[in-house]
Amino acid sequence: MRRPWLLGLLLALVTAGIVATVVGSETSGTGAENVGESGPERVATPPPAEREPERRCEATESNPGGTNNYIPDAPTVDSLGSGFVITGLVRSADGCRPLRDVRVQVWLATETGGEEDNRASMRTDVEGRYRLETAPTVPQFGEPNIHVGYDGGAYGEVFIRRVVDLDDERAVVNLTLARRG
Amino acid sequence: MADRRAPALGAAAVAVAALPVALALTDRHLAGASAALVLSTAAGALAVSALVVQPLLARGGRIARHQVLGSVAFVLVLVHGGALFAEAPDDAWFAMSPDGPTRARMALIATVALLGVVALGVLRNRLPLGAGTWRVLHAYLAVVVIALGIGHAVLTDGALDDAGTTVLVVLGVLGLLGVPAAHVARTRRARRRAGPPDASGGADAAVAGSAFESGPRNPA
Repeated sequence: MRRPWLLGLLLALVTAGIVATVVGSETSGTGAENVGESGPERVATPPPAEREPERRCEATESNPGGTNNYIPDAPTVDSLGSGFVITGLVRSADGCRPLRDVRVQVWLATETGGEEDNRASMRTDVEGRYRLETAPTVPQFGEPNIHVGYDGGAYGEVFIRRVVDLDDERAVVNLTLARRG
Repeated sequence: MADRRAPALGAAAVAVAALPVALALTDRHLAGASAALVLSTAAGALAVSALVVQPLLARGGRIARHQVLGSVAFVLVLVHGGALFAEAPDDAWFAMSPDGPTRARMALIATVALLGVVALGVLRNRLPLGAGTWRVLHAYLAVVVIALGIGHAVLTDGALDDAGTTVLVVLGVLGLLGVPAAHVARTRRARRRAGPPDASGGADAAVAGSAFESGPRNPA
C-alpha cells in the first residue's frame, strides 16, 4: 500500500457521508409524525372560532408518501373491523372553524389486508369530527402507516402519511384545510 | 484440530442461518400476507444469516464457499427488494427516495456497499489495486453492509421484533467481530506457510504478498 493515508482519508470521508445521510433522515420518513395513542379515547374539541373570527390556523400540508397506495373514491363504510380507532378534527385554515360534511378518506394496512383493501370514506359531523374503527394495524414497509386524504372540493387537496406504534390503540389525525386559490 | 471442529462449526452456521428466517416466518405479522411479502421476508432474513456467516468462512480460509455465499447473499438482497417492489411499488419508490425513512436509507446504502463488495470479489484480479488496498476496501465495505443491514432489520417493525431483535443484534456483533478476526486468521496462515523468519525476511515478504489466499495478483 503506497499511500495508506490517502485510503484512510477516503474511507473517513465516505464514513462521514454515510453517517450524515443516515442521521439526516427522519426515522419514519419526511413529515411522518407518530400520531398513535393508547388508553381512553379523547374527543377532539373544536376551538372557539366564533369568538375569534380573524384567527387563522396553519393549513395541513401533504407530506411525502401521503398518496402511496391511494385509490380515489374509497367506499363509504362505517367500520373496517375493530380494535383500532382513527379520529380527527377537520377545520378551515380561515377562522379555524370546524368543517361539517366534508369527505375524508382513510387507508391503512391491518390484520385483514393491505392498504388497497382497507380504505374508507366518511363525512365529518356537525362539529367537524370523523371517526373510523378498524382492525389493528400491521406494519406496511416496516412500520404501521395511517393515510388520511382530502381529495378536493372547496379546499385544496391534502394527503398525509402518519405512523403509529404496533401496540397503539388509536390514531388522531387532524386536518386544517385551506381554500383553493 | 480444525477438522474436528468443522462439524460443530457447520452445525452452528446452519443454526445461525435458520434462526432469523424461522423467527421471521412464524411471526404473526405474516398471517394472511401476500406471497411477495413472505418471499421478501424470507429472503431478507436469509440474507442476514448469509452476511453474518461470511466473515467466518473467510476466517476459516474457505474462500470458494465465501465467494459462493457472497453471491447468494447478493441475490437474496435483490429478491428481498424486488419482492417489495412487487408488493407495493408506491411504498418501494418512496422508501428509496430522499424522503424515505431511516431504515430504508440504511438498506439502500448497505445494498450499494454489498454491490461494491461483490464487485471487488469478482474483479479482484483485474482492478489496479494493491493487495493491501483491496483487503482494506473489502473489509470496510463488509463492515458497512453488516452494520447497516442489521440496523435496517432492527428498525423494521414486524418480522424480527422482541426475541428477533436480540438475535439480530447478537448476529450483527458476531459478524462485525468476524471481519477483523478473519484478517488476523489469514495473516497467521500466511506466516505459517512462510515458515519462521529468517535472514532473508521471507516470512514478512510472504505475509505482505499473500493478501487473501485468493487476493489480487499485484500486491502493493
